[in-house]
Amino acid sequence: MSNFPEKKIFEEADNWIKNNKKVSLATVVQTWGSSPLGIGSRMIVSEDGDFLGSVSGGCVEAKVVEECISLMKNKKICKKIDFNVSNENAWEIGLACGGDISIYIEEIKL
Amino acid sequence: MKLEIIRETLKNKSLKKEFAVITNLINGESEIFFPGCDLSEMFSKYSERIEKTFNLNKNGIIENSEIFVQTYKNPIKVIIVGAVDISIYLIDYAKNLNFEIIIIDPRGYFASKERFPDTKIINKWPIEAFNEIETNSKTALVTLTHDPKIDDPALQYALKNKFFYIGALGSKKTHEKRCSRLIEAGFKEIELEKINGPIGIKLGGKSPSEIALSIISQLVSEKYKNKI
Repeated sequence: MSNFPEKKIFEEADNWIKNNKKVSLATVVQTWGSSPLGIGSRMIVSEDGDFLGSVSGGCVEAKVVEECISLMKNKKICKKIDFNVSNENAWEIGLACGGDISIYIEEIKL
Repeated sequence: MKLEIIRETLKNKSLKKEFAVITNLINGESEIFFPGCDLSEMFSKYSERIEKTFNLNKNGIIENSEIFVQTYKNPIKVIIVGAVDISIYLIDYAKNLNFEIIIIDPRGYFASKERFPDTKIINKWPIEAFNEIETNSKTALVTLTHDPKIDDPALQYALKNKFFYIGALGSKKTHEKRCSRLIEAGFKEIELEKINGPIGIKLGGKSPSEIALSIISQLVSEKYKNKI
């Protein structure tokens, strides 16, 4: 049996929601230059900060988790976040590969 | 995105359907796209470009829009002839690489459910087995029995049906003999260049798991070379 890349993530999102957790989905929607993971890479984040999957191979996950939690807390629908090396904030997070990525976060709605 | 779309995606994947999930990045609304089917008003004016992205097996934002397309195509089919030890490791590696494995082996004591619990096994000779499998230029063949009675008919089928990858286990000498047999059977030398023999990229390993790793690496590399 072969698994498509998001299978585990989607099944787990369903489980977390069944357990009455709020869950957000983060997706790489655009990349420029040498980005660590391709367009369509995904991760889920629960309101408690649990996460599964990956959007960059470790460079920006912490920031994405933070953004997802704040999105759910503030009852926002979605947000696009751009990470690039010229951005001071991104340097802090450490997108060391020199690529730019856009990550779209949204709460999974019932 | 609604949970319903996520559940539909899981369901469509388990039914082996090919589709795309499209999302309006402005409002987070998503919909499932099936080729040839109509989309709702929000997405319908992009349907041609959505279909193009889907056909190219790509993910991405449609140019000059806020529409994101995530394409779900079926995994590449890899047919393994020979339910040997290497096959067990190949199945293990393939699990996380989006390959669908089918095993053919007429020898029942090799191709048992106990040895291959979650894998599709066809307990028949290759010629009969291929009648049960849909194949195309996106299919790969790996022959591992190095018994000409079993491997050769499968290789002939894959060559005729233009599989994107063909690999045959065996030393250089074994491969030379194999090629002479195939030439006798009417194949041209240039056609036989399609066969990777000895199979796999050079890692230097000899154990079944290391050989399986070298084969799966070659498959991944050929997948990207052939833009599949």
